[in-house]
Amino acid sequence: MSIKSPMKRSSHGQKSLLTPRSKTANTLMIFGIGYFMMPLIWVILASTKSKPDLFSTFSLWFGHSFKLFDNLHSLFTQDGGLYLIWIKNTAIYSISSALGATLISAMAGYSLARFKFKGVVFLESMVLGLIMVPATALVMPLYLMFAKVNVVNTPWAVILPSLLNPFAAFLIRVYVLESIPEELIQAARIDRAGEFRIFWQIVLPMLRPALVTVFLFSLVASWNNFFLPLVMLSDNHLYPVTVGLQAWFAQASQESGNSVLYNLVITGALVAVLPLIISFLFLQRYWRGGINAGAVK
Amino acid sequence: MKRRQVLIGWLFVLPFVLVVFFFLVLPLIYAGYLSSQADSLVGGQHFVGITNYIDTFKDPLFLEGLKRVAIYALISIPIMLSVSLASALTIDVIQTRLARVFRLIAFMPYAVPGVVAALMWGFLYSQQFGPIYWFAKKLGFRNLDMFDPNIFIYSISGIAFWAWTGYNMIVLYSALQGISREIYEAAIVDGASQKQIAFRIKIPAIRGAIVLTILFSLIGSMQLFTEPRILSRYTNAVTLGYTPNIYAFNLAFNQSQFNYSAAVSFALGLIVLVISYGFLLRNRRMADK
Amino acid sequence: MQKTLISGSFKKATVIFTTAAVASVVGFIGASAPAHAAAPVHVKVWAWYPNIKEVVAKYNATHTDIQIDWTNAGAGGDEYTKLKTCIKAKSGCPDVAMIEFQTLPTFSILNPFVDMGKYGASNADGRYAGWAWAQATSGTKVNAIPVDGGPMAMLYRKDLFAANNIKVPTTWAEYADAAAQIHKLNANQYIATYGNDPGWATGLMWQGGCLPYKYNGSTAKATVGISLNTASCKNVINYWGNLVSQGLVDSKPFFSTDAGADFDTGKYWTWVAAGWTPGYLSGVLKTTTGKWAVAPTPQWTAGADAQGDWGGSTFTVINQTKHPKEATSVAMNLYPPQKTIDAGSPWDIGLNSAFLYPLVTSVESNPAFVSHTYPVFADQKPNSIYIHVSKVLGAFQWTPFQDFIYSTLHDETAQAIAKKEAWSAVLDNVQTKVVAYATKQGFKVTP
Repeated sequence: MSIKSPMKRSSHGQKSLLTPRSKTANTLMIFGIGYFMMPLIWVILASTKSKPDLFSTFSLWFGHSFKLFDNLHSLFTQDGGLYLIWIKNTAIYSISSALGATLISAMAGYSLARFKFKGVVFLESMVLGLIMVPATALVMPLYLMFAKVNVVNTPWAVILPSLLNPFAAFLIRVYVLESIPEELIQAARIDRAGEFRIFWQIVLPMLRPALVTVFLFSLVASWNNFFLPLVMLSDNHLYPVTVGLQAWFAQASQESGNSVLYNLVITGALVAVLPLIISFLFLQRYWRGGINAGAVK
Repeated sequence: MKRRQVLIGWLFVLPFVLVVFFFLVLPLIYAGYLSSQADSLVGGQHFVGITNYIDTFKDPLFLEGLKRVAIYALISIPIMLSVSLASALTIDVIQTRLARVFRLIAFMPYAVPGVVAALMWGFLYSQQFGPIYWFAKKLGFRNLDMFDPNIFIYSISGIAFWAWTGYNMIVLYSALQGISREIYEAAIVDGASQKQIAFRIKIPAIRGAIVLTILFSLIGSMQLFTEPRILSRYTNAVTLGYTPNIYAFNLAFNQSQFNYSAAVSFALGLIVLVISYGFLLRNRRMADK
Repeated sequence: MQKTLISGSFKKATVIFTTAAVASVVGFIGASAPAHAAAPVHVKVWAWYPNIKEVVAKYNATHTDIQIDWTNAGAGGDEYTKLKTCIKAKSGCPDVAMIEFQTLPTFSILNPFVDMGKYGASNADGRYAGWAWAQATSGTKVNAIPVDGGPMAMLYRKDLFAANNIKVPTTWAEYADAAAQIHKLNANQYIATYGNDPGWATGLMWQGGCLPYKYNGSTAKATVGISLNTASCKNVINYWGNLVSQGLVDSKPFFSTDAGADFDTGKYWTWVAAGWTPGYLSGVLKTTTGKWAVAPTPQWTAGADAQGDWGGSTFTVINQTKHPKEATSVAMNLYPPQKTIDAGSPWDIGLNSAFLYPLVTSVESNPAFVSHTYPVFADQKPNSIYIHVSKVLGAFQWTPFQDFIYSTLHDETAQAIAKKEAWSAVLDNVQTKVVAYATKQGFKVTP
């Protein structure tokens, strides 16, 4: 099954787009856009407000003054630039684990497809079953395991477990079976190319949409990760931005004196979601093609 | 040559196997071991077999949470997936710029980490500074309190709806792209309307994807944890066993009852497994008809 | 052309992956490298006091033998989660950990504390408020060093009471009358909100003469006394339940963004709260700064002097430490006794930036503290009220499963607020559930 670009498809027969049904659809879509964007609009507007304005002006419009840059400045200088450290940590943890997970699942998926392992379906069902046990049960054993090798409270404690993305391997396996012709591989083998070289130079590039999809979804999962770093990391210089923001939020609710933590949590939330959204916008082409492969089974 | 190939095959799979073993299988085995021991603040732990599991299924706190997430799943999933499906079908047909913008915007919430989304919705639901209450007041609902324990689970539902509808829509939409054009052309020549095409051709064709999205939504709903935990300071609603996952967390990390907590987690996993299996089985039977 | 494309992306992938791999290794090294320290002993401290960063900086600047590595490992429960895991794993704990009073037995039953009496704290009882020292010690064993407390008093809107000619209540009977009057004036205003905070409720019960827990970890580790359904305890809960069910007291949680604003808009006229609450209020009040005042907590019997406490915390030393002597010194001297409260000194920061209520007696009775004014309270000098409370407070004990009790009390109260359960049944239910829990955990439960 080849990957078609959805935009090139014809809209099979729908000639006029201004039929009454289409008007309802268009209204609903406009409403939908407003609904899905509302929290993001709110967080952008709220980040431009000063703390008094935040609590007194209308939530979906600007305040009396435009304080975005002040808030950003406070955000980046609070606690000695802790927020930027959190962003850096999040980037390191999620990019490394996403890259690692992508490579691992690419190798495994390719192998499961090409080397004709039996019992793959059984393996898949077993993994699906294991995933049903909530992560709450895993954290303590992982903690004890990592404590034995003194890896607790280090980035490894967060990166290593995030390499786990079992369905990515199966996704890639399906993709390989459907997109990479056996003949191509055989031809390369006849040419005496080593297996690993075949993988790097021929297979991987052809897997690009699936790889980008896996990478992005692993990235999101890792970026999202809250519970694992919460338990593993005690030094707040190691926190990813999810744990950090939540810690500030908890403190804002108990804090005394002149803290502006609520503002920082909001501005921090804005800055935290931007990188992922931008990544998705730029890498659109790839992930839409990739989901194709996995969803149709 | 053949043997070398097989060896390399294993080598390629090895990192994956190691990761699955060390970070999934091994911890689960250890958790399983923990669940077979008793907790007691006085006297430490000793082997009790499946007593913890029996206790779990009799525990009112566990059962209360289980009932809650079951209702939560039963109500939220059909609504969310109907909207996702309808949206996917719509943007499959309407290829305008508006539809493409909608497709992108609806997916954006997926890029917002769950914790950050919960924090944001905490503000959005606030009566003092949130737009939700502002709109509700304008519509006459002066008493709307999204943190009222009677409706809090639906408030959480609202957050999940916002976060996942677009994602599920994209999964279903991508599945729709895999359907061959010729089938539509033939149907239109036969005089079928868009609606008939949708119900008779498209939906059955993407049955696999629909089942998958239902399954993952089910698993996610039963494991509800983040939103109630983050928002617990705003509301009286979040009790010790508000959801089974929260119960497991409280047991382990607030009450140091690691063993019982492991049993509760496994019990939840087991229930989810049974429900999922039952669902898949029923689906297969219906597909065979 | 195909070749360049493939090798191009191959190179790119390698570069990206290697960079990420290197970055993560660098990050790893950066995180775990020991700090430069040949001579000074490094003491690791976990604490979440506001502005403690400056206090630590000051300490490090004035000490050459000891350097403190402070981190905020979370506020309250989040830190406790990490403490419990590192205790269970027998590694990874800090030298000094901040633990609240009510949570001390929860940890002490796991046996993680160094007896600081062996390292210089044995004769320190005069240094700290009596009731706090009693909770921090088990017989001669010194488990914790008190830092701050939460003696309770009533914060109230002086201007609103005066403007509406309502008597500021001195007894709980008068408080109930005032509640009715206030709500009659304006259906959107209340004398207070019953924020379902178990620590707060316990403080009120304490003031009501209710001493529901008996636990002495050193003499009788496996015996605990639970008596939550005695008359004095039920009296307090029923009183508030009455006011809530009549709609004279609201039921919104404290410490939400809404509640802070509600205090500012005059929705709530009073808050029977702790000595650290003014700090929280000054962060959330905008328009009503200067309109609040402090009065003693209303009494059950006119003219009596019963008091309660809400919260407070200590420094403990965990027995995984390699430097118990230095850790004890840090615990005792990070917020030390001070004869004067000079600008920039630890308690200057603690009192004026962090709004802590000091349990160190030399600071508590320091004229600078006694006569301090706060913008929130205009020109009132409220601390003498709190100091009196702290002097009068009697002993109070906590259980090793306080978290379970608090959760159960919270959940039962939530049921009562939602009218699904009678207020008079709340403590009965909690009593039953807690006794069952304690028995299951292996305790011998006495009434």
